[in-house]
Amino acid sequence: MSTDTRPSSATSAALAFMAVIWVSPFAWLLSNAFDTGANGQLRLPAEPGLGNFLGAMSGPALTQFWNSMFIGVGTATLTLVVGSGAAYALSRLRIPGRNGLLWSLVLLRMLPPTGILVPIYFAAQSVGLLNNLGIVVALTVLNLPFAMLLLKNFFDTVPVELEEAAHVEGASLPRILWRVVMPMSRAGLAVVWFFTFTSAWNEFLFPLLFSRTEDAFPMSIGLYSAFGRNGSIEYGFLAAFSIIYAAPAIAVYFLLRRNMNTGFAGVGVKG
Amino acid sequence: MRDPRSSWASPWLSGSIPVLVLAALPALLFVGVLLYFTLWAVVFSFTDLELFGRKATDWSFVGIENYERLFTRRGFLESLWTTLTFTFFSAIVGQSVLGFLLASTLRRYRGSMRGTIEVCLMLGWLLPDIVAAFLWSATTSKTGLVNQVILGPLGVEPVNFLNDYALQVVILANIWKGTAWSYLLYSAALDNVPGEVVEAAKVDGANGWQRTRRVILPIIKPHIGTNMLFITIWTFTYFPLIYAMTGGGPGSQTETLPIFLYQQSFSVGKLGYGSAISVAMLAIVGVMSIFYLRLLKEPK
Repeated sequence: MSTDTRPSSATSAALAFMAVIWVSPFAWLLSNAFDTGANGQLRLPAEPGLGNFLGAMSGPALTQFWNSMFIGVGTATLTLVVGSGAAYALSRLRIPGRNGLLWSLVLLRMLPPTGILVPIYFAAQSVGLLNNLGIVVALTVLNLPFAMLLLKNFFDTVPVELEEAAHVEGASLPRILWRVVMPMSRAGLAVVWFFTFTSAWNEFLFPLLFSRTEDAFPMSIGLYSAFGRNGSIEYGFLAAFSIIYAAPAIAVYFLLRRNMNTGFAGVGVKG
Repeated sequence: MRDPRSSWASPWLSGSIPVLVLAALPALLFVGVLLYFTLWAVVFSFTDLELFGRKATDWSFVGIENYERLFTRRGFLESLWTTLTFTFFSAIVGQSVLGFLLASTLRRYRGSMRGTIEVCLMLGWLLPDIVAAFLWSATTSKTGLVNQVILGPLGVEPVNFLNDYALQVVILANIWKGTAWSYLLYSAALDNVPGEVVEAAKVDGANGWQRTRRVILPIIKPHIGTNMLFITIWTFTYFPLIYAMTGGGPGSQTETLPIFLYQQSFSVGKLGYGSAISVAMLAIVGVMSIFYLRLLKEPK
């Protein structure tokens, strides 16, 4: 059965076709971003240069970059701090009904954000949080169940014996957490932080609702309002802007590739 | 093993339980807020609350009027149908089947072909939704890539795909964007299928299709279930890509439930009705979750 070990040429052709479909939008994006005279066509840059990137890193575009940073870093940090407090307790304490609690976290994770949009909007409006800080809080609330599940799984992999040994040696709880648990679950904490950062960085729905002024727009809204606008589209600028906007999320993935995969697989199977 | 009668914590921690509980409090508060909001959405759905005007402050309970409206007025059922179409074709047919085919085919490849496809799948998945929306809007526009490279040379008049084939384009865009997840999950699952079992089936004379159907698929069934659970629910409630590409249009051809909910709540301003839509969505997602979770927990 040679077909099983050696791929046939038909499959190879099909794969090549798929590869072309998957690659071509990126080729288009790159060729336009590095072309200061870009017109939205796929071609070798007519006026190659970095002008588009300079434009996308100055003025309102730069403000949007920092707004996205604030939302991303704020949400990730808040989620990690709040989540690990509870996750450690969930991992170490045999709370009655713990399994039920974990399953309800799984269900909460499935809750569609659009489903609770109206109450969140109202709550934010009544406490004056229709701004980027409000987005951070709302996204933390939504990300927390998943983050807690992930963190609990990571804390489970830290051997309790080590903590007990440290306790016998006379270390206090904060010291054990800082010196034993933290270093051993560092990879897990990083995964959760970056995962939350990425999802907050990419977020579109809440900024669409919460960001009231152009100064407060994160990059998602900036890009949306720029290409949604009628009239001439500045393809070069938008392509460069898109690349800058996409870069952090992509960089994070490739930096944490191995950890990410184990994290996802773990969540997938254990639910 | 643990003694079921022992206390909550191992002895070394039992002195610190108050501290641990204190550390867990903020998270409890946040999760509580999430539950509270969900409850609130349910309460709102029985009111005539509006975003603007008198009924923004002076609202009253209207019973199940909003729910009647779901089934008697145009909009909800059409939107539900659009959502189901979108989910079926982009998540189940597209991402899941394509992801499985790719995962099982690419296993036999080493080197650049596999690497290129994997990286591109991942890039699509990692790309922010709005960047993907921009890419697909730009490449399928009247002067875009598809017209330039494929239709132009064939002598076909330029087509504005987002106008004429809106639903098909957003389905394709979502397949392009989301297949990586299924691919990764199925790749990991196929790695866990013992090679001897497949070999044994081969020795027994099972052909490629029979081996997949009778040996591999049953082994990775839990993974298929997990994957289906995640991607159907994500796709069902997926908002940014479609909204940024079409805004639900043209007309209401691509108005999936999240977009319908958003429009009714924040453009039309009918928050009560919007809440009823969201409760219906929560109910549908809940039923789907329970359905899949039961499939997963079912012992074989």
